[in-house]
Amino acid sequence: MESARSEDDWQTCFRQLGPALLLFARRWTNCRAEAEDVVQDAFVRFWRRQHSIENRALLYATVRSAALDRLRGEQRRAKREAVVALDGDTHFEPQFTSIDEGQQQLAAAVERLPDEQREVVILKIWNDLTFAEIGSVLEISQNTAASRYRYALGALKKTLQPHE
Amino acid sequence: MNDFSELEAELKKLRPVPASDELRARIEVALAQPAAGATAGVLPRRSRRPGLWWSLGLGLTAASALVLVWLAFFAEPPASQPIVAQNASPAPSAAYDPGLQPATLRQVVYHRRDEGLVFSPNQSERPLRRVRYDTRETMQWRNPQTGASLRVSYPAEQVVLTPVSFQ
Repeated sequence: MESARSEDDWQTCFRQLGPALLLFARRWTNCRAEAEDVVQDAFVRFWRRQHSIENRALLYATVRSAALDRLRGEQRRAKREAVVALDGDTHFEPQFTSIDEGQQQLAAAVERLPDEQREVVILKIWNDLTFAEIGSVLEISQNTAASRYRYALGALKKTLQPHE
Repeated sequence: MNDFSELEAELKKLRPVPASDELRARIEVALAQPAAGATAGVLPRRSRRPGLWWSLGLGLTAASALVLVWLAFFAEPPASQPIVAQNASPAPSAAYDPGLQPATLRQVVYHRRDEGLVFSPNQSERPLRRVRYDTRETMQWRNPQTGASLRVSYPAEQVVLTPVSFQ
């Protein structure tokens, strides 16, 4: 099977999924560099296990698992949460490519969403995962995933209404 | 969900920052390497027993060598022959099968360490050069009638003390 998955395969796959994987990994990391470490670890692990790339829920679950392993291993969760609690705007680096003013507001609103809502939005909007898949990635029920998504969009809409 | 369709369309217009070339290069390197690190916990763990046996064997050998070195210093050595301190090796014996005959004895020296000149308490006027050899000895017995064979292999250490004369 190894021969059936060439270097071009992973390059193509990573080109398509890498940006969204990084966006998703930022949920558990303080900076883009850490997110890249997590994505690297997860992607390499996923690819070596010969999983079908169609199984994107598993790929995202692998990213989540790698991120949680990293958090546990380095015992940084408490520190990170303390930092987040002190300053809600810790995501300094832009997570989206060049965008106009309206999109900047939307991106900022997305980044201000609670983590549990933001990760559902990321998986739904930029990865086209179903709520069932999102539920399996995040180890929550399908209904919980759907309700978090609705809450998130409701919050975004509310935030952006005065500007529309 | 229809009331959010416009918002969803706006969100989809946002493009996440692409992965850096550096990350792509790192993944390429990682995928090119053997799977030991990244698949830890997936692949069966390498058995640690060989290392344990080696440690045990080397430890016992070192202990016996120390005893023999001590004996070499305090026992009366032959006058002119090099003094060889060697850990005791099992005497080739065929107690289990009287038909077993000694067949081969092989000694492989894989490390030699010259420890310089030392003075023996019994030969204080003549310095000795102490050389330590790490070896692996393999002995084999065969029973020519039944074809049965017995092989014993173990690490060993030899300390050779050679009298040095200055002219």
